[in-house]
Amino acid sequence: MAIDGTGVMEQYRLVGNSPIRLDAKSKVTGRAVYIEDIQLRGMLYGKVLRSKYAHARILNIDTSRAEKLPGVKGVVTGADLPFVHGEALMDKPLLARDKVRYLGEGVVGVAAVDERTAEEALELIEVNYEELPAVFDPTEAAKPEAPLIHEELGSYHHAPGINPIKGTNICNHFQLRKGDVEKGFAESDHIFEDTFTTGMVHHSFIEPHGAICLIDDDNRITLWANNDSPYRCRKEIANALNIPTSNVRVISAPYIGGNFGGKGGLQAEACAIALAWKIRNKPIRMMYTREEEFCSAIVRHPSVIHLKTGVKRDGTLIARQVKMYWATGAYAEKGPTVCRFGGVSGAGPYTIPNVRVDSYCVYTNRQVAGAMRGYSGPQAAWAYESHMDIIARELGIDPLEFRMNHVYTDGDEHTTGQEIFSEGLKECLEKVAKSMEWGTKPVGKDRGRGIACMERAIKTPFGSAAFVKVNEDGTVEVLSSTTEVGQGSETVLCQIVAEELGVPLEWVRKATPDTAFTPYDASTTSSRSTFHMGNAVKMAAADAREQIIKLAAESLEANTEDLEIKDGNVYLKGVPEEPLPIPRVLGEHYGPSGTVLGRGFYFPEMKVPGKYFSTFMIFWLLGAHGVEVEVNRQTGEVKVLKVYAAHDIGKAIHPSNCVGMIEGGIGFGIGFAFFEEFMFKGGTVLNPSLLSYKVPTAMEMPETESMLVECAHREGPYGAKGVGETSNVPLPPAIANAIYDAVGVRIKDLPITPDKVLDALKRKAQGEKDGPPQNRA
Amino acid sequence: MKKTITLHVNGDVYELSVEPNETLLDVLREELALTGTKKGCDSGACGACTVIVDGEPILSCMTLAVRCQYKEITTIEGLAQDGVLHPLQKSAIERGAVQCGFCTPGWLLSAKILLENNPAPTREEVRTAIAGNICRCTGYKRIEEAILAAAGQNTE
Repeated sequence: MAIDGTGVMEQYRLVGNSPIRLDAKSKVTGRAVYIEDIQLRGMLYGKVLRSKYAHARILNIDTSRAEKLPGVKGVVTGADLPFVHGEALMDKPLLARDKVRYLGEGVVGVAAVDERTAEEALELIEVNYEELPAVFDPTEAAKPEAPLIHEELGSYHHAPGINPIKGTNICNHFQLRKGDVEKGFAESDHIFEDTFTTGMVHHSFIEPHGAICLIDDDNRITLWANNDSPYRCRKEIANALNIPTSNVRVISAPYIGGNFGGKGGLQAEACAIALAWKIRNKPIRMMYTREEEFCSAIVRHPSVIHLKTGVKRDGTLIARQVKMYWATGAYAEKGPTVCRFGGVSGAGPYTIPNVRVDSYCVYTNRQVAGAMRGYSGPQAAWAYESHMDIIARELGIDPLEFRMNHVYTDGDEHTTGQEIFSEGLKECLEKVAKSMEWGTKPVGKDRGRGIACMERAIKTPFGSAAFVKVNEDGTVEVLSSTTEVGQGSETVLCQIVAEELGVPLEWVRKATPDTAFTPYDASTTSSRSTFHMGNAVKMAAADAREQIIKLAAESLEANTEDLEIKDGNVYLKGVPEEPLPIPRVLGEHYGPSGTVLGRGFYFPEMKVPGKYFSTFMIFWLLGAHGVEVEVNRQTGEVKVLKVYAAHDIGKAIHPSNCVGMIEGGIGFGIGFAFFEEFMFKGGTVLNPSLLSYKVPTAMEMPETESMLVECAHREGPYGAKGVGETSNVPLPPAIANAIYDAVGVRIKDLPITPDKVLDALKRKAQGEKDGPPQNRA
Repeated sequence: MKKTITLHVNGDVYELSVEPNETLLDVLREELALTGTKKGCDSGACGACTVIVDGEPILSCMTLAVRCQYKEITTIEGLAQDGVLHPLQKSAIERGAVQCGFCTPGWLLSAKILLENNPAPTREEVRTAIAGNICRCTGYKRIEEAILAAAGQNTE
């Protein structure tokens, strides 16, 4: 039994169970196919020569020796490719043209009969550069006197709602205004000001980026890729090359080996397209190496966030001013919308009467930052949740109580002006507090406890479409362009179809996304698939069900409302002994050639205008974490004893999978909190390897307790929302808050390394307060 | 200069002509089409390419194929016998230990050797055994539980 979005008690057969994932068997036997497992006849292998400077003018390129190497089939440079691409802002060439803007940028592509030959050819290419002054820190890069990274910024085509500032490095300035912050500060009894920073981190999916591109003489493009979003990818290609979208076919690899936001846009795809544009009628493969993953793909934005908050003596929040700098690297990529979402959530999930947010997306001469699990959420929450704790402890208010007094609930107004509905953040905090016995359980020496919550916007309004094909024998195929990146959507979407159509789950299969066959979907991102595509496949299945019932009603000479489908049979309600199997329903009407096609398209109902990254969110990702830590005063090491994680997922279609997402996100959060960070010398990455850039292994994982809050969404399928991007968000601030509770020091710069903790302990012993921010870029 | 070698993989014998600097990983994937062994980092850091050679889990990206002459090699394709899943595979499926699946073949083979050498491991021993297999999706908890369950242990 469950309560659906309308409050009605419903009995579901499959929704809310946790059937075995449909992809599991092929994955444990090694039969699951990923991009690198695909081989095409006559396929060539691409490699890319990359910039050795962070910022330099390209004076000349000599590829003549490389072209003569036996086995080399073609060489391409930016001069061959008069194109720019970018989803939000079109600023990125397929290969560098005229100048390079970061160390690691692609300059020359080579295609050869095998990778070894292509690599050898790279060594024979000579590029002469004239080095230009580079800038790495986003606050420095935002200054008027900073070296310009894109002189042409003012002329770039960009999406609505993106506000680049001509003549600067700021490629988006997002502003949010509510009330009057200056008046609010004047009315406050206390003012708190803090600056928080986060470093550059990497998705580190185990499968690197890969793509195979084939372009024929008529500019028809076929691209096989491990791209998270085939339709978004197709649009970016068609826009860049100025060709009709129907000329571009994007075929997803059947399975994608991890995504976390990093496999959107054009990464290896851009290299493969660049080569295939010049070398026609041959499939050309480009697989990134691990070094290219670190130096030439996508990273999470380093951030600098200033918060200023005014409060009354009794702890009432009156005003908050937020200034955020997002270091987006050499090209905008998803940066402008990351900056926008960061700004939307910059003040936190709290009711504050006066708010002013300025969020700046700033070019720097480093690798490109884009989407990564949380899409600004982890950086924003690191700042506002650390800041909330500082205020609570300074005022002597319990940090949980302080949050409970201000988090929004249904009927409240979000900072953006949107009415909050169907949201259970308070419940998340309550669950965590109860489970960890907040305020009552004793803690030992040098141990502490911390709490933090979060909100994260969902990209709105974007559509998702699906077809449901009922075969002659009653089995079902779901045509949907949601990619399977590990999140489990294949299973969840098939569960919804089986539930809605009334057939066994084993009868339902989901097709691999292919823009030639599976219908439109905006993206497999933003934790949007269960909600958006879930709605689309639910509609498509219901459409198919109604058609089958109509056919059966004719056969049985019954009224459609008296019929139902269960376990693949049509029944007269209340007459279980006379099943009419679906294939018979089809057969009686169409003989051996019967089929039914159901269709669904979901587009969220908008309460405010806006057709591209609105500030109105169809739902919010919400959650709270509590942690217990132990700090070693001698070494500065912090051991996380336990993580308590509660997330409002609306309705768990597949509860085991939801918990799996939360546990995985905690792993991400542990890495971000404690040790993941790019090390640089100028523009050079010093640790471009999984040997020197450490991600959590099994040894670093704490005990976890995951809790699902089911606050049903009025528009979600069965009330469901999303969960994938939530649980790495509140963990780092919860840890920092627990460290403060344990030993009284406050770390404001991620990651929380032992040396930072030791340094803070030393300064505390000497009676100093906070040190300066440590990793401003 | 290519060398002719004999490889014993999953009970089959292959005569192959390979470059002396070709890795076992590349030979398995490119010559034998055993693509279940995954290339994650090609530098011995992620564990996705783990295979079993003479009873030891090794990183096939760090092993030259010519060094594996006549040795018994088991890849993920050889873990199920006659279509019957290995208890670790069954357990991984049932415990929800699989998300993107890219690290799965590697840790399953590390775990196979663990359980052969130590049929009743503690959770700490399981963690140590898979410490070289990076999983970016699951947070490891389900993986540990799947291995413990395959060893017949209560994971509650």
